[in-house]
Amino acid sequence: MAGTTQSETNPVVRVRDLRKNYGQLAAVDGVSFEVGSGEVFGLLGPNGAGKTTTVEILEGLRDADSGEVTVLGIDAVKRADDLRARVGVSLQTAALYPKLTVVEVLRLFRGFYSAGRSVDELVALMDLDEKRSTRTQDLSGGQRQRLSVALALVNDPELVFLDEPTTGMDPAARRALWDVVLGLKREARSVLLTTHYMEEAEVLCDRIAVMDHGRILEAGTVDELVSRRFHERAVRFDVLDGLGDEQMASFPGVSSLKREDGSVSLFSRDVPATIGAVLAAAETLGREPENLAVRRATLEDVFLDLTGRALRD
Amino acid sequence: MNALVSLTVANIRSFVRDRAALFWTLAFPLIFIFLFGAIFSGGNNDRTIGFGDEDRTAASQQLRAAFAGLPNVKLVDGTETELTAQMRDGQLAAVIVVPQGYAEQVLSGSRPAGVRIFTDPSEPASDAATRQLAGFVLSQVNQDASGRPPAVAPEFRSVQTNDLSFISYLVPSILGMSLMQLGVFAAVPLVADREKLIFKRLHATPLRRWQLVGSNVLMRLLIAVVQTAIIVLVGSAVFGVQVSGNWLLIGALVLLGSLTFIALGYVIGSFAPTEEAANGMTSVVQFPLMFLSGTFFPIDAMPDALRAVARAMPLTYLGDALRQVMVEGTPFSPLWVCFAVLAGWLVVCFGIAFRFFRWQ
Repeated sequence: MAGTTQSETNPVVRVRDLRKNYGQLAAVDGVSFEVGSGEVFGLLGPNGAGKTTTVEILEGLRDADSGEVTVLGIDAVKRADDLRARVGVSLQTAALYPKLTVVEVLRLFRGFYSAGRSVDELVALMDLDEKRSTRTQDLSGGQRQRLSVALALVNDPELVFLDEPTTGMDPAARRALWDVVLGLKREARSVLLTTHYMEEAEVLCDRIAVMDHGRILEAGTVDELVSRRFHERAVRFDVLDGLGDEQMASFPGVSSLKREDGSVSLFSRDVPATIGAVLAAAETLGREPENLAVRRATLEDVFLDLTGRALRD
Repeated sequence: MNALVSLTVANIRSFVRDRAALFWTLAFPLIFIFLFGAIFSGGNNDRTIGFGDEDRTAASQQLRAAFAGLPNVKLVDGTETELTAQMRDGQLAAVIVVPQGYAEQVLSGSRPAGVRIFTDPSEPASDAATRQLAGFVLSQVNQDASGRPPAVAPEFRSVQTNDLSFISYLVPSILGMSLMQLGVFAAVPLVADREKLIFKRLHATPLRRWQLVGSNVLMRLLIAVVQTAIIVLVGSAVFGVQVSGNWLLIGALVLLGSLTFIALGYVIGSFAPTEEAANGMTSVVQFPLMFLSGTFFPIDAMPDALRAVARAMPLTYLGDALRQVMVEGTPFSPLWVCFAVLAGWLVVCFGIAFRFFRWQ
């Protein structure tokens, strides 16, 4: 279990050996992690990995079978009611009164809290101005998601939980939401988000925990996760007919290779020697490697590597 | 408190924007009133009374003529057995039997001649009316027999209160039915909100469960008041059904009845897994309530088996109490049974909902 303790001395979220079973299924199977104050922390994993169950226990919406869950210094299982005014929650499925308008729903939720942000401010922040008087049943998926995030911010919370906040959004709306999250980070608020988009995790998260089958497989910053697993870089080029996998695997420095979408990636500890071998081999074939490039491994490589291993277990 | 108010406002908004809900709670009862009012208004309001003449003398025929001469009374002749059987079937409001030897006793004056009068105490209005009619006729006969001129001559003025025409029976009945529907239909948005995870989302806010339930109940009670006002106004303005009862008592009945049926709605909401299921279960519950609770005709007109069912239905008691209070101006004391039965249903439904209702 790789529970990194990089956070501040007073983490806003502390989870120790959290477990939750549904019948025989261990939805959360001994999860531990911490979120530091002012940190954007991401739970990254495929659907059914246990991310939502974990987050809903932290939000005080579900009981845990065992484990210690402290949110803002409060036991989130036993004293959830003390927590609710101080955290913001956006559920995976935006739960909205269908017949109320955007502004009416915001006013309603604002009325639940003694302090918070103004409805107009939130409408502007989430770019919902044109939809102010639209009933929520007539909003698009992305607009509903934006309203759901606006509702999570209505009480000006210290800690915001965003469960798959960009699901159903087009790329432009997704980027706009990323700006909102980065804005929260600038205001030194803490954010715990779940996502199955690698790019989202890379752009937003200070630290990431990769989750699958109810367990955290690895946690850390993106750089840590990548460099811990991949010391090498990838030499990538379009597939050259006549150049076989066995031959490429024997090139100097190459530790592994991957073919995808008509291109080959050679993971190498000695990039110049590997490129030399590729050029030489291409020349003997009377060809030149097209789109030759060198890149470092990404979170996606890490994820495939991690979950691939987990699946074989 | 602020949260309770804003949630109640939100609930009212949602309700008012739901055309189906509006139709069922506001338009549907009025359609019933207009439809039945149109069909049955102008029909006669005669009280049909059975008259069994076992004496068959001039004196007994004179008595028959005295009853037949009363306004709004229609006599049906027959034997005691036939007539009481017809009364049990609800065809007759009362039966009067003149026993053999009546004329002799009247003439001899040695002891009062007995006239048997059968009334139905379960219909207090009808019961009282028959007693008054008979008392009036017989006192006239007594007075004639005495051979002296009357000391006091009655002078009749019409007072609507005790005149239970079909429409004045129907208006309070429809009010009871509407309150029932309003309450039972609470199940549908309840299950829909649960399905849409709205309750789950609200649970993540400082809002308390009691505020959530409170606002839902408050919303329905406010609509119940509007419903009552509309039905009473239409009843009085269009069909001349004047409310003669105590408004506080009517208000208490509307409140208790609504709460009882809202609790029944929560019971349905406890067991319906989906919105569609809630819709179906609501119909299954509301139709027997509607037709087996004396909404459209008195339960005394029902066969014994059905009447037993009707006696268990909460709407029977709400409808009965509303009819008595609104139309006949009955005070609380004879109605405590109705209040007690409704309160009993409320407690049981609340208990079941409390035990089985799930928010997620």
